[in-house]
Amino acid sequence: MKTDIHPNRGTARGTLFALYAVLIAYALITLMPFIWMLVTSFKEARDVFKLPPSFVPTKLFTDEPFGNYTEIWTQRDFVIFFRNSAFVSFMAAIGQVFATSLAGYAFARLDLPGKNWLFALVLVTAFVPVEVTIIPEFLIMRGLGWIDTFLPLIVPSFLVGAFGTFMLREYFGSLPKDYGDAAYVDGATPFQIFWKVYLPLAQPALVSIFVIAFINNWDELLRPLLFLNSDELKTVPLGLMSFVSQYEASWTLLMAGSVISTLPLIVIYMLTQRYVLQGFVGGGVKG
Amino acid sequence: MRSNRKIRITALLFLAPTIIGLLVFRLIPIGWSFALSFYDWKIFDTPQFVGLGNYAHIFTSPTAHKVFLNSAYFSAIYVPGSIALALVLAVLLNNGLRSSAFFRGAFFLPYITSTVAVTLAWRWIFSTKFGLLNNALDWVGVDNPPAWLADPMWALPAVALVSIWKDVGFYMILLLAGLQTIDPTLYEAARVDGAKPVQRFFKITVPMLSRSLFFVLILALVRSTQTFEITYALTNGGPNRASTTLAFYVYQNAFVEFEMGYAAALSYIMCFILGLLTLTNFYFRKRWVHED
Repeated sequence: MKTDIHPNRGTARGTLFALYAVLIAYALITLMPFIWMLVTSFKEARDVFKLPPSFVPTKLFTDEPFGNYTEIWTQRDFVIFFRNSAFVSFMAAIGQVFATSLAGYAFARLDLPGKNWLFALVLVTAFVPVEVTIIPEFLIMRGLGWIDTFLPLIVPSFLVGAFGTFMLREYFGSLPKDYGDAAYVDGATPFQIFWKVYLPLAQPALVSIFVIAFINNWDELLRPLLFLNSDELKTVPLGLMSFVSQYEASWTLLMAGSVISTLPLIVIYMLTQRYVLQGFVGGGVKG
Repeated sequence: MRSNRKIRITALLFLAPTIIGLLVFRLIPIGWSFALSFYDWKIFDTPQFVGLGNYAHIFTSPTAHKVFLNSAYFSAIYVPGSIALALVLAVLLNNGLRSSAFFRGAFFLPYITSTVAVTLAWRWIFSTKFGLLNNALDWVGVDNPPAWLADPMWALPAVALVSIWKDVGFYMILLLAGLQTIDPTLYEAARVDGAKPVQRFFKITVPMLSRSLFFVLILALVRSTQTFEITYALTNGGPNRASTTLAFYVYQNAFVEFEMGYAAALSYIMCFILGLLTLTNFYFRKRWVHED
């Protein structure tokens, strides 16, 4: 220990200690469900109902450490749910990038009478709760004969997205006008100016929109629940819920499924953390 | 001018998906739902016009009353709980510690992970006999801990707690962004003047952060009325509707009972309450939000 402990340094050290204690305590609460999920997914089924509960992943010490994973993945068709979720989320994310980059650019840079009213309408209607619109949405999808297909989960994403439109309108609006003017002098059409000049510059915002849309669609429960009936079309959240009713007590399998469904999001989040955080802070709203 | 027309045509083409989407998935459903709310319609029958019958039924039904009270209770836990916790976490992380990035990432994690998956993990944690929570409570000496999800008194708070756990990282990130815009010299000046940490928090941090706080308040309020996934995966609204909130009740009426008209009326009441709460907050905004 240093001999000349300044009185202030003592309090600073105490404060720092308290700060870390609180942060670590809350980090434990935050991460506990993930830890417990992971531990349970590596337990033998018979160890789940042992008291007191233990954090020992007993299955890791057997011949088949990943037994719960292989069982749920192959024998319980989780691979199908996973593929469905990946496909739907990917297509919907592409759709959002498509629809909102066009709309965001037009709102920011192209002149059309009444476009500000249209923009206001897109934002205001986004605040109407989904509960209000979901019944007619269901009736529309039923009328189109789209029930029990992926279309209701993908097509709307290709049409409208308030969050992405808002974000890209800001983004395109913040880019210098001169680039477009220069291209215009060189004889570029409005579409070429968008496609060759501004769209490449918006790449960070497009990545945020893609990732956030992917995460939201991967997470979506209500629409798959309403629009999909067949087992072979189920998405991951729906598949997990059907496991709950079928094997309520198979917590090892359920938790293995939960880990599988959480992992892609954690990986994507870690790879694109900067874009995602910027996107959430900039856009402010999820969805 | 020709080029002007070209721009307009491009704009129209660019906005065509948005216009179609706005019409088909927003405006028409909003109007249709309103019209439906005046009909008695089980999905396979012919709709019967009942005027304000659905609304009258909502105001006299004991179940609907219970659901309204549950919703209010849920918001009363979720809104102040998530904002207070987010504020504390944001202030603690806004100190330039090198490890802040780790904690920020950890606290944000629940927000972006699969809701159904983490809710199932919570369901297992809340399990009465074998769950982690009650065994931990038992270990610290609590006798007869509640049955949580099976207990009418605790099911709703449990849903609210999981919701707070899930969303608090998001609000924290928004508040952190706000905190980083506060001029650090304000704190130094206050320190020189002998202001204590608590005073600095209430006299500098809260007023300077009030715009972010207002934004978070509106977001939390909106989200608190729309809980669905967590309720569905944790309690399915039970036991005995103890954790059924308005959004979940709309879902149950529409897609479990297929009472489309009644559900539409409920959704409009929900939208009306939400609008009223939001407007009230905007009305009181100037009382406490500090504009520069």
